[in-house]
Amino acid sequence: MPAIPSRVPLFATAMLGCLFAGGLGGCATPPPGGSAEAVQEYRQTNDPLEPTNRFFYKVNTGIDAAVFKPAAEGYRFAVPRPVRNGVHNALANLSSPVTLANDIMQPSPRRSGDTLMRFLINSTVGIVGFFDVAKGLGYPPHDTDFGITMALWGVPSGPFLFLPVLGPSDPRDFAGFGADIAMDPFTWVGSGTTVTALNVGRYAVSAVDARERVLGEVDQIKKTALDPYATFRSLYRQHRQSEIDETRNDKRATVPAWFPQPPAPAAPAGAANPPPTAPGQTPK
Amino acid sequence: MRRTQFLLSGLALGLALLLSAPRARAQDAAAFVRQTGDALVQVVNSTAPRPTKREELERVLDRTVDVEGIARFALGRFWRAANPQQQQEYVHLFHEVLLNSITSKLGEYRGVQFTVGRTVPRQGGATVQTVILRPNNPPTNVQWVVADTGGSAKIEDVIAEGTSLRVTQQSDYISYLQHNGNSVQALINALRRQLAQASG
Repeated sequence: MPAIPSRVPLFATAMLGCLFAGGLGGCATPPPGGSAEAVQEYRQTNDPLEPTNRFFYKVNTGIDAAVFKPAAEGYRFAVPRPVRNGVHNALANLSSPVTLANDIMQPSPRRSGDTLMRFLINSTVGIVGFFDVAKGLGYPPHDTDFGITMALWGVPSGPFLFLPVLGPSDPRDFAGFGADIAMDPFTWVGSGTTVTALNVGRYAVSAVDARERVLGEVDQIKKTALDPYATFRSLYRQHRQSEIDETRNDKRATVPAWFPQPPAPAAPAGAANPPPTAPGQTPK
Repeated sequence: MRRTQFLLSGLALGLALLLSAPRARAQDAAAFVRQTGDALVQVVNSTAPRPTKREELERVLDRTVDVEGIARFALGRFWRAANPQQQQEYVHLFHEVLLNSITSKLGEYRGVQFTVGRTVPRQGGATVQTVILRPNNPPTNVQWVVADTGGSAKIEDVIAEGTSLRVTQQSDYISYLQHNGNSVQALINALRRQLAQASG
């Protein structure tokens, strides 16, 4: 996809955000009378809503300290690691329909096959996904969502957003998050208090599981970074870009095993995922 | 959020390189990384007391990693705004902070194993891909950007699961500077405070 930074959606989003947050003075402005370098830096950072984002970062830190971190620490203390891994596998298995739909839409044919086989094998032999049997059979796990799907279609990410509870994000990925919930069959199946309770329970366990997996890393950043907000912003963007690149560069053959296989593609120089450049540039 | 600890763990694996580092051509870069990793695993698993381990790490860090290059990159355009004395002090502080981060992670890497994957040549060196396996953790992909600096190989950057150490540090420091009046002295003071807290 061409790496043309699309100014119009960015500008429109920023304007909308500014109108919304205008009363709070929530928009950052380029450095007044600043050097060309400073202005370029501002554009590269692509965080016109920075004051608002920092506010929500503080809010999030509070919620995290009060709710999520203690829950995650308790979870780590009370539940042994193999069981935690099993829970993570089972949760991933439950998301298989959404993962599969995204794989198909991207389109990533080989990964779609992986997801389907993983779902079938792990749900049965792996006992509702608790044991990841499929990995050993040649179907590696992967995570994907509608945000990545849209990125592969060429939708630019838009300015950085820091959302309460969800954390670092951007308009594209936030829309993707909503779309994934809408695509999830479990959202629509059944009605009544039991079903609602199960769904809420599933999201709650997902949140605690996700928080537990990054306990050490988040602590390290908060302790050693001079500006943790900027560090999280940078890491989020780099990681997101690397997920998108990895999906795009997955060129494993899609020819069935019993068919004559095409020759393996020669790896061109620089075929590795390109090293991350300045984060904030609208990704391809 | 992903595993930023691997930024430093990956860097830690770059330490412990031996004295006569060969020119980092593509085929040598892989050997360089393998030697480095093996030697580092030895340090990690050794039973020496922590201060000794830290000294060993420091010696190797200086020999194998282009710390000044990373520090310079992290400061971005503000490097030119600093006077030579500030530049020197900043690089020294950066070196200490980096060493502290790596040393604090040593315990988590007991029993670590790694495999060297593909080497991708690039201008002035090569990028070597490795997979790092810590016991009870999923495998992590770490790329080592190895550069030829005047005849000896040096590690210029570590990219763990797609996140680059240099780029992340730069984002952190540039943002801090922007919010503290573009003053390099303020950054230096903040680094000093950070070091004092760590040792206090």
